[in-house]
Amino acid sequence: MSATRTGVVSLAVTVALAVPACRRDTGVPASPPATSESPANAPATKRVVGPLSPEDAQALATMNDRLKAYIEEHQKLERSLPAVPKEATPLQIDQNQRALEKLVRATRSAAKPGDLFTPEARPVIKRLLATVFGGPDGKQLKSSIMDENPVGIKLAVNSRYPDSVPLSTIPPEVLQTLPKLPDELEYRFIGDRLVLFDVHAHVIADFIEDALPK
Amino acid sequence: MRPRYLSVLALLFTLLLTGVGCRNGNSIPGASVVEAQQSSVAEATVPLPNRDGSFRFAVLGDFGTGERVQYQLAEQMAALHKKFKYDFVMLVGDNLYGSERPQDFQKKFELPYKPLLDAGVKFYASLGNHDAREQRYYKPFNMEGQLYYTFNPKPDIRFFALESTYPVPEQIQWVEKELKASTSDWKIVFFHHPLYSSGDRHGSDVRLRDVLEPLFLKYNVSIVLTGHDHFYERVKPQKGIAYFVVGSGGQLRAGNIDRQSGLTAKGFDTDLAFMAAEIVGDQMYFNAISRTGQIVDSGVLTRRKPTS
Repeated sequence: MSATRTGVVSLAVTVALAVPACRRDTGVPASPPATSESPANAPATKRVVGPLSPEDAQALATMNDRLKAYIEEHQKLERSLPAVPKEATPLQIDQNQRALEKLVRATRSAAKPGDLFTPEARPVIKRLLATVFGGPDGKQLKSSIMDENPVGIKLAVNSRYPDSVPLSTIPPEVLQTLPKLPDELEYRFIGDRLVLFDVHAHVIADFIEDALPK
Repeated sequence: MRPRYLSVLALLFTLLLTGVGCRNGNSIPGASVVEAQQSSVAEATVPLPNRDGSFRFAVLGDFGTGERVQYQLAEQMAALHKKFKYDFVMLVGDNLYGSERPQDFQKKFELPYKPLLDAGVKFYASLGNHDAREQRYYKPFNMEGQLYYTFNPKPDIRFFALESTYPVPEQIQWVEKELKASTSDWKIVFFHHPLYSSGDRHGSDVRLRDVLEPLFLKYNVSIVLTGHDHFYERVKPQKGIAYFVVGSGGQLRAGNIDRQSGLTAKGFDTDLAFMAAEIVGDQMYFNAISRTGQIVDSGVLTRRKPTS
């Protein structure tokens, strides 16, 4: 009974927090909520990492202001471009993406590792990932991430995501564990590096070296 | 006189090929069980009924290479369309390999499938791990800017296209909500990463299966169409659901089916292939057709029904 009530409350909270599916949010986003624990609510998925200590939660929260500022700038730049029509031609898609890439890269020309994955958040994220991959399913999780995932690719913050590198699969367990991102950004792995991928601009916004435990 | 004679012959030949007028002699009643066709190509196949008012579609995956063999399989799709008028093609991801410049959309999609596009066939895409996210804006993929979406081409049939490379919790919640809300008899889900596959290269995505399979079972999904492994495989029904891997659209991984997996009802990994299907009432007929036009698998399955 109690478990049912907890589940209902958790689901309600998730639904309230979640951006409505299948809709691109064009307004200025709210700062992502601080991650204090893996969502216990996601239906049909497993809770992986337990509640974080206040210190770890605080460390992850340092990413939020950076992410918020990044997204505000990103959306401002995106609004300055013609919107991609729902019925776009490949030329329109390509032009729009490359135009946004150019603007984002120019705006962040001084970007460096740690601007978004803050120095405070990095060790916590690596520890969270180590917990996930150190679990009983860790080998399998890692295997799914490394599938068609090349190693030895040279990366730079604020550069174009390499066209030759397929997008890595990110298992649900990993997504549950890491801080939630706004729609414009995604986590990806390139080799053992965790990449913050700007989806619309096709740009590597930041990355963490050696994020995937050996 | 001679041309008329030839026309009649051609018509008879077409009727023979498409199975018009055949009875549904190979249906397995009652359960949602795929007819096992462990036999060779040369043995009898289940014809597509080609019946008026039926719903017809094709399935294609891992195809966008721009290579000659992709074009040859596309020619077979066009040839089938002449005698079996399917209106839709479901794309199970990896729609374009390598670069995705405007000319690549032409070379790897628009040109090979031009006869189908010209005939008004609509393609509905899901994205694979090789696909840029911007493909969702590409009009001929009919994603309307969404990474995951649902549509019902007929009131009793609903498709759900998922994005399996980055399965955010919001998507899982969304698919549960949509599956639950759907009153369609047929619920068919398509996406890239297979929940069940005998592929040596990739195989079953067990992590994704843990998340999605309970929903498919709970909400009466009948068919799951996937790709990623570069061959055709009809998996033995898993808990009553029929799973197909149709990653054989352009880049073959020859000999990659693990024959010891115990999963395979029928596998084809020696050439490219696509799948054609026809839903008639509670039954779905299917053929898998190779680059050389051979029917390499066929059968008929019955949709799942609510237990209550």
